[in-house]
Amino acid sequence: MATEERTKEILKGLHDSVYEFEEDDAVKWAKTALEEGVDPFVATMEGIAEGMIAAGEAYNEKKYFVPELLMCADALYAGLDILKPAIEASGRQAEVKGSIVLGVVEGDVHDIGKNLVKMMFEVAGWTVYDLGKDVPLDKFVEEQIKTDAEVVGLSALMTTSMLAMPVVIEKLRAKNPKVRILLGGAPVNPEVAEKYGADGYAKTAGTAVDEAINLLKVLKEEELGE
Amino acid sequence: MPDGKGAMTERERVLALLDRKKPDRVPIWPFAYQGFATVYTGTPISDAYNKPRVAYEAQKKTCHDFGWVFTPMLGYAAYGGWELGGEIKWPSGEFAQAPTVLKHPVETPDDVMSLKVPDVKTAGIVPIMKEFYDISSKELLDNEPFNVMQFGANGSFTIAGNISGPDRLCKWIIKKPDVAHRLLQLANEHISKLAAYWKELYGVENVIPLGGEPTSANQLISPNMFKEFAMPYITEINKMFIDMGYRHLYAHICGEHNANMEYWAQIPMGDPGIISIAQEVELFDAARYFPNDVILGNVNPAIIQTGTPEEVYAAVKKNVEDGKKIEGGYIFSPGCEMPPMAPVENIKAMSQAVFDHGWY
Ligand code: B12
Repeated sequence: MATEERTKEILKGLHDSVYEFEEDDAVKWAKTALEEGVDPFVATMEGIAEGMIAAGEAYNEKKYFVPELLMCADALYAGLDILKPAIEASGRQAEVKGSIVLGVVEGDVHDIGKNLVKMMFEVAGWTVYDLGKDVPLDKFVEEQIKTDAEVVGLSALMTTSMLAMPVVIEKLRAKNPKVRILLGGAPVNPEVAEKYGADGYAKTAGTAVDEAINLLKVLKEEELGE
Repeated sequence: MPDGKGAMTERERVLALLDRKKPDRVPIWPFAYQGFATVYTGTPISDAYNKPRVAYEAQKKTCHDFGWVFTPMLGYAAYGGWELGGEIKWPSGEFAQAPTVLKHPVETPDDVMSLKVPDVKTAGIVPIMKEFYDISSKELLDNEPFNVMQFGANGSFTIAGNISGPDRLCKWIIKKPDVAHRLLQLANEHISKLAAYWKELYGVENVIPLGGEPTSANQLISPNMFKEFAMPYITEINKMFIDMGYRHLYAHICGEHNANMEYWAQIPMGDPGIISIAQEVELFDAARYFPNDVILGNVNPAIIQTGTPEEVYAAVKKNVEDGKKIEGGYIFSPGCEMPPMAPVENIKAMSQAVFDHGWY
């Protein structure tokens, strides 16, 4: 077992290798964590995830741009690849925070923002069912039913493709009134989200996860109230 | 709905600006070549990209009906993926607006290093563009300052991103700069072959080269990355066009480029160039960076689609009143492509605001 001090050092190693997008270091520190008996769940949440959250902040402050974030994501996934099987093997099921079906609506290929959103959800311990870009509208409904995901996140970057959002929302509600729907993308704003009948909206990838958690809280409260 | 008042035609207005003279009224030169023109004339959007005759007639009728400048154009923002060897999907369905790259010709650094630029004459959409320009170059109407608006200039970074997918290019900028540079060289190699081909077919007289740069916006890359990976390649291509004898280039600086503007200002654009800016950049900022060029812009296209006619009118009026103060000259346009589904009432309100307030 690593001492407390050594554990801190390993967590910092994981954090920094993600933040500084050093993929090889992320692998090295993830292996070290396992070898020295650091709880892989702690290594993931307090090392890797914290590094990615710091990267997200650097992006908001315009210190980082999309290239840096994508590199951080590579380091993040390299570390996760090593830690995830260990979490599963330990029997200590990582606490799944929630699940989300995510995609860019039909007619729209702008997927860079959606990919960042996906990453933030993964970092926060969510299960993400990523449908990709230019997703046929019925696919959102099918995937939600198949996976029973609590949240569906729709992305659109054009005023043209944005018009697909209310159509998907209607389809989703018809099959499953309880599902929570989150919208995002440059032309969307809180008023549009409300008009389209969505449950939530987030302006950035960082705030998307918080917004989704709020939606789940409301969902849980409603269930308790029933 | 041409206003019928002016002494000058739309063609004369644009040519006056390019001669550094004042026109009688602000010209209207909207980005409405494709989706909007086809929807308005009642044909599928894909016709704008793969049926040259239909596309040409749609643009011609639309520009005539609304009293706009007409510069026939066939091209698309995802250009490069198909042309360098990948696959494309035409827009279809209710919500699609433009072609999409289905498969990129390169995925790995090795792919990039071994990619050869294919024969330009048969590359991707080029034969369709040729058919289109063959038609458009045959007539020169009095709303046409140019009858060939030839796709290909100043989009090196975006074309490179379309070849690999922008996310890969983004990563290579940091991880494998040599691969990113190679990809940009390939983009420029293709563009220069394309330019030579167009010049051979249509000359330079009634032709204006255009290009767009969405992928180098600060929504994606930093100003330093722009300086290192976009500016040198765009400069090289624009210089080449100017050396070939083209007098004016049209650059669509798409998206939020504020921190890149000092670098854009160093890129040659012709004498003068036409600087088309998105709504994310202020008109007066653009004019400050390009004091010797004509500024084209920049009402938010979203308003034209989703606003009321009154809101559209007010936004356009404000833009035109500001634009008229620009010394180097100003042309009215939305900040990006006109949304295909924009209601005709809003389009009329847009034109009317220029007819009412655009006089010098
Ligand atoms: C890069 C870009 C492209 C690239 C896209 C590459 C790719 N694979 O993504 C290319 C060159 C291919 C392209 C093509 C086109 N484009 Co474009 N493009 C852009 C640009 C400059 C940047 C978009 C971007 O990546 N931003 C960076 C990311 C990180 O930000 P983001 O996407 O907004 O995401 C953040 C938030 O919105 C949020 N978020 C996003 N999704 C979600 C989802 C959820 C659930 C939540 C909670 C949050 C959330 O989190 C993200 C991170 O913080 C925008 C400009 C703009 N104003 O957005 C134009 C823009 C979107 N494009 C536009 C147009 C018109 C086109 C074309 C139609 C042009 C044409 N005629 O060919 C084509 C369309 C192709 C198609 N079939 O879709 C217009 C749309 C106008 C409109 N009608 O509304 C824009 C707005 C440009 C403008 N100035 O008007 N484009």
